[in-house]
Amino acid sequence: MSTVPAVQPEVLARLGSLSLTARQAVESILAGQHRSVHHGLSIEFADHREYQPGDDLRHLDWLVLARSDRYQIRRYEEETRLRATIVLDCSGSMGYGKTGSTKLEFGRSLAAALGYLMVRQNDSVGLATFDTEVREFLPPGSTMSHYLHLLDAMSRSQPGEETRLAPVLEELAGRLRRRGLVLLITDAFDDSTALVQALKLLRYRKQDVRLFQILDPRELDFPFSGMTEFVGLEHEPRLKFDADRIRTHYRQEFAEHQARLKAGCHAAGVQLEVCRTDEDLFTVLGRALAAR
Amino acid sequence: MEFLTPILFGGLALVSAPILLHLLHRRNIKPVDWAAMRFLIEMMTRKRRRLLLNELLLLLVRMAIIACIALAMVRPALKHAADGASGAGIVRHGPTAAVLLLDDCLSTQAGRAQSSFENMKRLAVAYLGTLRAGDEVSVVRMSQVGQAVADPGFDLEAIKAGVLAARPSFVASDVPGLLEAGLGQLKHHANPGAELILVTDGMGNGWRFGEISRWEELRRRLRGPASAAAGTKEHPRLLVLCPETPETMRNIAITAVTPDRSILTSGMESSFKVSLKSHGNTVATSVPVQFLVDGRAVGQKAVALPPDGEGEALFTHTFAEPGSYALEARLVDNHDFLGADDQRALAIQVEPGLPVLLVDGNERAGLRSKLGFLRYALDPGGPGGSPFKVTTVSLAQFAPSLLANYRVVVLGDVRALEPATVDALERYVVGGGGLLVGLGPEINPGLINRAWSRGGEGFFPAALGNATSPPKGVRPAGMNSTHPAFAGFGAQAEGAWKSAAVKSYFGLAPEAGQRGDLEVVLKYDNGDPMVLERRRGLGLVALVTTSLNADWNDLPLQPAYVPLVRGLVGRLGSFIMPPRNLLPGEPIIYAQVAEPGHPITGEDQAGKPLPLVAGGWEGRDAFLSEALPTPGIYLLRDPKVPKPIRFVVAASPGESQLQPVTEHDLTQAVEPGTPLYRRGDQVTAALATASRNSVEIWKWLLAGAIGFIFLETWMTRRAAAGAAMGAVVGEPEKA
Repeated sequence: MSTVPAVQPEVLARLGSLSLTARQAVESILAGQHRSVHHGLSIEFADHREYQPGDDLRHLDWLVLARSDRYQIRRYEEETRLRATIVLDCSGSMGYGKTGSTKLEFGRSLAAALGYLMVRQNDSVGLATFDTEVREFLPPGSTMSHYLHLLDAMSRSQPGEETRLAPVLEELAGRLRRRGLVLLITDAFDDSTALVQALKLLRYRKQDVRLFQILDPRELDFPFSGMTEFVGLEHEPRLKFDADRIRTHYRQEFAEHQARLKAGCHAAGVQLEVCRTDEDLFTVLGRALAAR
Repeated sequence: MEFLTPILFGGLALVSAPILLHLLHRRNIKPVDWAAMRFLIEMMTRKRRRLLLNELLLLLVRMAIIACIALAMVRPALKHAADGASGAGIVRHGPTAAVLLLDDCLSTQAGRAQSSFENMKRLAVAYLGTLRAGDEVSVVRMSQVGQAVADPGFDLEAIKAGVLAARPSFVASDVPGLLEAGLGQLKHHANPGAELILVTDGMGNGWRFGEISRWEELRRRLRGPASAAAGTKEHPRLLVLCPETPETMRNIAITAVTPDRSILTSGMESSFKVSLKSHGNTVATSVPVQFLVDGRAVGQKAVALPPDGEGEALFTHTFAEPGSYALEARLVDNHDFLGADDQRALAIQVEPGLPVLLVDGNERAGLRSKLGFLRYALDPGGPGGSPFKVTTVSLAQFAPSLLANYRVVVLGDVRALEPATVDALERYVVGGGGLLVGLGPEINPGLINRAWSRGGEGFFPAALGNATSPPKGVRPAGMNSTHPAFAGFGAQAEGAWKSAAVKSYFGLAPEAGQRGDLEVVLKYDNGDPMVLERRRGLGLVALVTTSLNADWNDLPLQPAYVPLVRGLVGRLGSFIMPPRNLLPGEPIIYAQVAEPGHPITGEDQAGKPLPLVAGGWEGRDAFLSEALPTPGIYLLRDPKVPKPIRFVVAASPGESQLQPVTEHDLTQAVEPGTPLYRRGDQVTAALATASRNSVEIWKWLLAGAIGFIFLETWMTRRAAAGAAMGAVVGEPEKA
């Protein structure tokens, strides 16, 4: 059985034929909003591309227009190479979910789709997997062969130890010296205060951060009933509860955690996107890109 | 504090049910993987104590619910005062358990304008009027003793209606038996107060004062332990309700219809004695008695009866053909206090002759054989015939296959039998056959005890000792002329054997005297048994301990020999099983198998169809009716039998004696001072204001249980709503 992350063909096909709005949104995110800080400073010319509505007219190549009567935009090296790093949580809790649709599997698919989008438009994309520490780190690259390496690295990731988001993000902040985009895919089952501090550090290091929180529907609904023994996936003690009678308390604790996380992300300028593993991946992508 | 149904104390064990359920639940928990453990851990860390406390409270509330319900079922009652006495001296212990003992025997039908039974019912209803809601009542009728009785009821109006609708039965009264049944029924009651109310017509026959040991046991049970208060389950209060009756009530009854012999044969004239009894001090100079055979009058005679005296009328009849007959005697135009005993019937079976098989232990013929005298005594030959159809076989000719054709078998000084023949004889007797065994010089006691008696398991009635030959000989003595076998002797029984001499006989082994089913019907003058009887299954075996010929005695030369052996053989062959003369309340049993397409049907005395069901009786297929409460003649039609088979239900003649028990006996029979009430107003005055000294608290307990249920519901909902409480069912466990 192949362990290559499941970027379903239909997802790729649908991504490839994204509607104009979605395509604009992608390009707005990746080209418009992450404009190179080196713009106008001895930037090396790379190539031309077709003008599209919304392009900055300052980059229109007037010489080409004069000679060929075609609207061409000049492209420079730094502007076309957004440096994105996908940070994928491979802790034990990410292994939760029904067979074939665990949170980790959903996260891999999401990461593969995002990576594909970026490589397809010549952006650089890297990968970091972690649990208690960074397990694998691939620097950003923009070629399809690099993308395949990313897929291969993702396929090797397995649910492992406890979740320790804060130290891992601090370590990554040290490694990511150039301005870029961090796509953090995790369930965020960690201390929300430390997590927010780590996100702020990333922001301080001039990284634009987007947090994709992957949740199983049962973690939201708590559908158990009767006496139940809960066995943790990260070596927590086993707990026996009457599920009916703690449902409200659980939901309350969970809601408080989510509220803290949301507020922290807002304060740190991090966009939080909550994804359920029973959602369609395309829907998630579309929602994420549109929200930008 | 007392508990009315302490047997239900075991229900308190259910209090542990919530704990057991909790523990069982813990065993059956299935584990699930869970990622978001940190939220559960945080929740537990913050609310653990509160959750545990609430869980414990919930557990206690649930246990309290069960405890309240279990205690309510035990029905505790608080005694709020010492036993005090009301004006009438009756103290009831809280709610009363009353067992109404209604003696609805035949004598209660007696009376002129109103029967005694109607007056008894009024007294019973007056008593029921002194009870109140919560009191429970059982009604036990004399005719129901021995049958299942309905559970106690609380609907006093329905019970009153049931009493008023009751009709007297035809059963014989048995007051001690009715009281015993009442004590048994009290066990089905739950209320603390206990009263037995004997409603009787006060006739003496049913009280059975002669059964002293039975009355002593009854008194012991009624009094209970010395510490028991009167009117409680341990010492039930007995009240006697007996309507006033005339000092004596004149009554003439037919007490019996008796044939003159055990075996009735067709074509031979038979005599029947109709016995009458006059109760009361009135002289009846001419009481007309009609005699009927199968409903057809065949004679009428007038009988003179002295005051409190007896009389009889003799009728003769010749039955043209064998079969089942019903004889009936009726008093014509008799107007006394009790009409139910003015007729009496008897079912008889007329045979062409009683088939008797003689097995002779000696090959010699005539009077020199072992049973030669007996054969001539049973069937001397000559004109007129004999009721006994006798066949003699030698020991060598005797085969088990012969048994099916004879009602009686006689063994005369037979030394030994083949084992297969012994088995066949045992089956023959158990199945209803009659067997007469005569001994003699050929008998080996050891062999007999080993093969025929077998410690009481075989057909032989008793283990034998050695042969005895007293120097001066012995002779029969002590003949009881009331025994059916000796009925033919009549008044001459006493001197019948004065010139007889028995030289030798066998004594019985010592262990034989310990058998309770052995009846000595004739003894020698030295006290040793001469003739014994023992029932074996459905049949009867008689043993003559000396010879039936002249080897050891001169009995065959005595005139009494003929009635002796005819009586014995006739008795052995006279039993028709199952019986056809029944008492009220007994069912008809007809032990036959219906052929396909030829059903066996029944009719009651009014000609209506009598339902019969197929069943079994003593291991045989049989048809059975329901219990028949009413005297009369019932018919069964079997296509295999030419004449209908007649069954007779006849009441006990003892009920005809309408002699009231004295008031002294009514109040002293159980214990001195037993309250006796003869009128309804006396009952009401004595009991309607009786005080009650305890109060049940089961209602409060049930109210408490309902309150705890509401509390439990509130706590559960509150926990589920998550307002403040949760439930930690178990401590966290390390993986």
